[in-house]
Amino acid sequence: MLKRLVYIIFILLTAYSALAQKTDMAVISGEFKNITAEQFLLQLETQTGFHFYFDASQLDSITINISANSQPLPEVLKLAFLNTGLGFAYTQNNFFISKGQVVQTALPDGSFDKDNIYKNISPQDSDITEDLKIVNSKKNIQPNKLYLIGEQGSSNNQGRNTITGFILDNNTGEPVIGASVHAEKTEIAVVSDQYGYYTISLPKGRHTLSIQSIGMKDTKREIMLNGDGKFNIEMQTQVIALKKVVVSAEKAKNIRSLQMGVQKIDIQTLKQVPVVFGEADILRVVLTLPGVKSVGEASTGLNVRGGSTDQNLILFNDATIYNPSHFFGLFSAFNPEVVKDVELYKGSIPAKYGGRLSSVLEINSREGNKKNITGSAGIGLLTSRLTLEGPLIKDKSSFIIGARTTYADWLLNLLPDQYKNSKAGFYDINVNISHQVNKKNSLYLTAYMSKDNFNLNSDTSYHYGNNNISLKWKHIFNNKLYALVTAGYDNYKYKISSQTNPINAYSLGFDINQSNFKAHLNYFVSSKHTIELGLNNILYKLHPGTYKPLGQQSIVGIDQMQAEQALESAIYVSDKYTITSALSMEAGLRYSMFNVLGPQSFNEYPKGVPKTEDNILGAMAYGKNKFIQTYHGPEVRLSARYAFTNDFSVKAGYNTQRQYIHVLSNTSAMAPTDIWKLSDPNIKPQFGDQVSIGFYKNLKSNTIETSVEVYYKKIKDYLDYKSGAVLVLNHHIETDVINTRGKAYGAEFLIKKITGKLNGWISYTYSRTLLKMDDPTAGEVINKGMYYPANSDKPHDVTFISNYKVNHRFSFSLNATYSTGRPITLPIGRFFYGNSQRTLYADRNANRIPDYFRTDFSMNLEGNHKVHQKTHNSWTVGVYNLTGRKNPYSVYFVSENGVVNGYKLSIFGSPIPFLNFNIKF
Amino acid sequence: MKKLFACIVFLIIITTGCKEKYIPAIISATTNYLVVEGFISSGSQPTTITLTRTTRLYDSAIIVYEHNAVVNIESENNQVFPLTENGNGVYISSSLNLNANEKYRLQIKTQDGKEYVSDFLKVKHTPAIDSISWLREDGGLRLYINTHDPQNNTGYYQWKYEETWEVHSAYESSLIYSLDPLTHVVTGIEFRYPVTRAIDTSIIKCWQSNNSTTIILGTSEKLTTDKIYLPLLSIEPASEKLSVLYSIKVSQYALSQEAYKFLQKIKRNTEQLGSLFDPQPSALQGNIHCTTNPAELVVGYIDITEENQQRIFISNSDVPGWNYNTPCKSIVISNNLDSINKYGQNLTPTIPFLSMGANVISFSAANSLFCVDCTVRGTNIRPSFWP
Repeated sequence: MLKRLVYIIFILLTAYSALAQKTDMAVISGEFKNITAEQFLLQLETQTGFHFYFDASQLDSITINISANSQPLPEVLKLAFLNTGLGFAYTQNNFFISKGQVVQTALPDGSFDKDNIYKNISPQDSDITEDLKIVNSKKNIQPNKLYLIGEQGSSNNQGRNTITGFILDNNTGEPVIGASVHAEKTEIAVVSDQYGYYTISLPKGRHTLSIQSIGMKDTKREIMLNGDGKFNIEMQTQVIALKKVVVSAEKAKNIRSLQMGVQKIDIQTLKQVPVVFGEADILRVVLTLPGVKSVGEASTGLNVRGGSTDQNLILFNDATIYNPSHFFGLFSAFNPEVVKDVELYKGSIPAKYGGRLSSVLEINSREGNKKNITGSAGIGLLTSRLTLEGPLIKDKSSFIIGARTTYADWLLNLLPDQYKNSKAGFYDINVNISHQVNKKNSLYLTAYMSKDNFNLNSDTSYHYGNNNISLKWKHIFNNKLYALVTAGYDNYKYKISSQTNPINAYSLGFDINQSNFKAHLNYFVSSKHTIELGLNNILYKLHPGTYKPLGQQSIVGIDQMQAEQALESAIYVSDKYTITSALSMEAGLRYSMFNVLGPQSFNEYPKGVPKTEDNILGAMAYGKNKFIQTYHGPEVRLSARYAFTNDFSVKAGYNTQRQYIHVLSNTSAMAPTDIWKLSDPNIKPQFGDQVSIGFYKNLKSNTIETSVEVYYKKIKDYLDYKSGAVLVLNHHIETDVINTRGKAYGAEFLIKKITGKLNGWISYTYSRTLLKMDDPTAGEVINKGMYYPANSDKPHDVTFISNYKVNHRFSFSLNATYSTGRPITLPIGRFFYGNSQRTLYADRNANRIPDYFRTDFSMNLEGNHKVHQKTHNSWTVGVYNLTGRKNPYSVYFVSENGVVNGYKLSIFGSPIPFLNFNIKF
Repeated sequence: MKKLFACIVFLIIITTGCKEKYIPAIISATTNYLVVEGFISSGSQPTTITLTRTTRLYDSAIIVYEHNAVVNIESENNQVFPLTENGNGVYISSSLNLNANEKYRLQIKTQDGKEYVSDFLKVKHTPAIDSISWLREDGGLRLYINTHDPQNNTGYYQWKYEETWEVHSAYESSLIYSLDPLTHVVTGIEFRYPVTRAIDTSIIKCWQSNNSTTIILGTSEKLTTDKIYLPLLSIEPASEKLSVLYSIKVSQYALSQEAYKFLQKIKRNTEQLGSLFDPQPSALQGNIHCTTNPAELVVGYIDITEENQQRIFISNSDVPGWNYNTPCKSIVISNNLDSINKYGQNLTPTIPFLSMGANVISFSAANSLFCVDCTVRGTNIRPSFWP
């Protein structure tokens, strides 16, 4: 510290001595009270006869309040400009006043790198922010201006300094997520996080930062880096009416980033992809990515790299969503109007995430507009949506509220008379509030609620819904360290009831509740190391089934499954280490622990014999909050990257995962009535590991990305079901499930063009997913203990997504997708029983349904782009399944009136036109 | 739940999708597994066991019966009750009156020398049917089964039914086309009874019947008492079944939990597929095993139970406003070959419209044989139980 001070004094003295050539004879006296800087300088000009050069716009907010008594001119100026950010330089009789950058009055003598070639009075770093504020409020972004960062010579950190700050939208004040900050002429580039926050470490000296982001105008900042400092950057939204705009987003990110098997889609892309009924649908677009499959069109259940649908952690702003679909899987439960982007981790999953084997799907919602109240509304064939956003406190806090509802009843009215009492509906509501307490503290509140209800012909009615709330606090300790603390509560529940038969009238309820707490520290040690560490806690409470009588006449007995409690905890640490500019690696370790908590009782079985009802030894009851069973273990997350050139890199990764919560479902598609089950003494946690390698090559100055990723994955203790398993209200579920092993492997090829009039991607995936159950002590072996294909095993898959912008108001999109038909179980023979012919089944999934092929087309028509009109509107018109191919969802045989008939069921077996109208205000 | 899913599928089909008949090309092997159907009757009724074989999925044979097998019921104390084949793979015992405290099993030795045995089973008692009731629903009619076990001991039930209903021909007929014996070309009309010129009463009143082809199961396991009130079947509005008199005989069987699960599995595999959320069809393993080749699949589950039956009648007068409408119509045709050839092809003559003695000038003809001759769809032999 002392050393630094001495250094500063030394610099100042040398500067002084250099200045003290002629002007020390100019002596100033007078009172300069409450006058503008401009007036002040004009007065000096008259007093001294020197010329003062300045930019009036830089001075107009600065008032001078000094008195001078025969002091030398430089001293007076120094006093006057104290804490204003102004500096000065002079030669002969000319004074140059400037903000930040100080005008050089002579050519540098010697090395360009020398710090002290700029003769200036260095402003404090807090002044820089002041300075920026003035600039910002004038909406006057000055890329050519030189910004000084840090105190000169303030750091002796081997010539490297750290800059942190937020990248903000200058129009709305919202953070710009995923913007890349690249120091030109270096290999150093970073990307802003979901709060728009970035940290970059650069050598001291002058740099040009190039900042790029989707939907934003590229911008540059000239900086002079003297020491650690904060630097907020505002970007301008790209006004589409401009004749020529070049958008280059996250160029070369795929080459440079460490992660592999990560796909990010922003909302613009999401909205371009035509989907059935024309509603922008996040999960449907995710399904077009390589390595992601579903069992059929009616299902939004994702099978990521051979995983099952319950092996995906779906996070909506940190809240776990257990059922991401509406209308039995026809829509996804996320309102596209509030979504900012979606990121899918299927390969290298960061250490901060855990608890699911296959993937993490992170859905980030937008922050509200911090400057003005705006909104949008949309009308589609089945749903309508409304979004409202605006500031609560201008520039500090904002809100965004989105709501969606359906009026799908008209669809049901098309049903025959006997279904005339049918009702179906859903809605979802999102609320996000973000508040910047001060420069170091921000708070984010997210609430989400969705509800679905069905009642077909007043027979059985179904309700299900998600409720989530979370509060996040971001605290920035300093340029290198920030913390995120999140607390939240997630709930998913469903209820089925039937009153048709008064004797058997019942209601069946299920719910899952989890309270979670997360703490995360991000420590930017140096440009070579970034360390993340943290802890996660989830306290689960499940009510796996409550069956109750409904109405007076009902003689249904109450059947209540015992509540399940457990605590899942994890601590993690990871280090991103840049070894050389070409080679970097990330090593993470997560240690997870799962405690089954009392009060609960569990059946006990002798070892080595099948778990069947006959083998139950008895039930063991455990008291409240007792740790009944603990499962724990490390999870390894490793990835490394070697960039051979600027546009070619190879990455490799290894991952292990543990999963303590499972879905009980023996249907191929994900059903809303699926039950979640926690691991317990009789149900082991699932374990998976994956090794992957990828090759990334960018062509045509990073406008075309190509990649090949190969993976091999093993799954242990995945739950499969015995033939004819009973899953609902089963008090000894372990007798109906079996632990299977699985393996999945595949290669994913992707070519993506991200810029230009024509953009999109084409991907080909070869993948297999095989399961095996050969443990005879489990009671039943499936398919004679041989490997058999899983439901989502579709070896070949080709997807083509394209968008062509004819002009700024009109674009069209074309998609095509082909995949091998999914495996199904078809009969091997026929027999006569109970007065009817019936089918005989043997091995599971030995056959396949016919291959799948579909093309979709849509056109987007935007209204005019005059900036200052009250509303902007747009139309989307399109056709889903353009060729009308009757893609089979399933092939099945059923006994009807005594004979066996085979059928093929297609869900969208004809071209489906759609129309959507959106309005923004 | 099933129903809802089916409805959703239906909804989708109606709006955009489709379900179409489809025969996938599956190479199906000759399975030829033994299928055992029936139950061991503990009471005085004889035990009936039907032995068949599984066939290929696409096979010309509807049912392949297993003949000449040796079938016995055997007690734990080696008491043996033989069954004898009564043609068509049906094996029948004499009245057994089994001891409720003993366990019995079924033993089969087939013609090819293979031996099969079931597990030893306890005797189950079937409670009597309390009543068969019905309700008018949406213009049609739904029949319900009511039963209970005062001992709260049964829990699992199966029902089968046999419907019988009286049908009347829409038109009486005294006339018939005379046909050329060689070419079967209509040559004119003649009286069915040339002497009396009477109408043919034997083809006016018939009885149609229908057996349940689905597996109907019920359980009271989730109820506080062993009481059942469940729909059995529905009759479509204005169905001909209730145009005169309708009768249904319901047979009730108590099941063991395992037998119930087995039948549920067959039902799920063969009757309940086709929704969006189908469970996987699964392999069937009952409680009969091949001792000569333990790996061989045997289809069937043997239970020891009783059959309890009840019959009810519902007459057309019990269902006011039933509004059965016959699809039959008739027109009048002049009795000359030209008119007959022009208008009367594929029609069935009923009675003379205008006649002078034996000389028919014109006659009425109905649009189908079905409208005149009820024996094309039922029997004209009055069932013994018919009132």
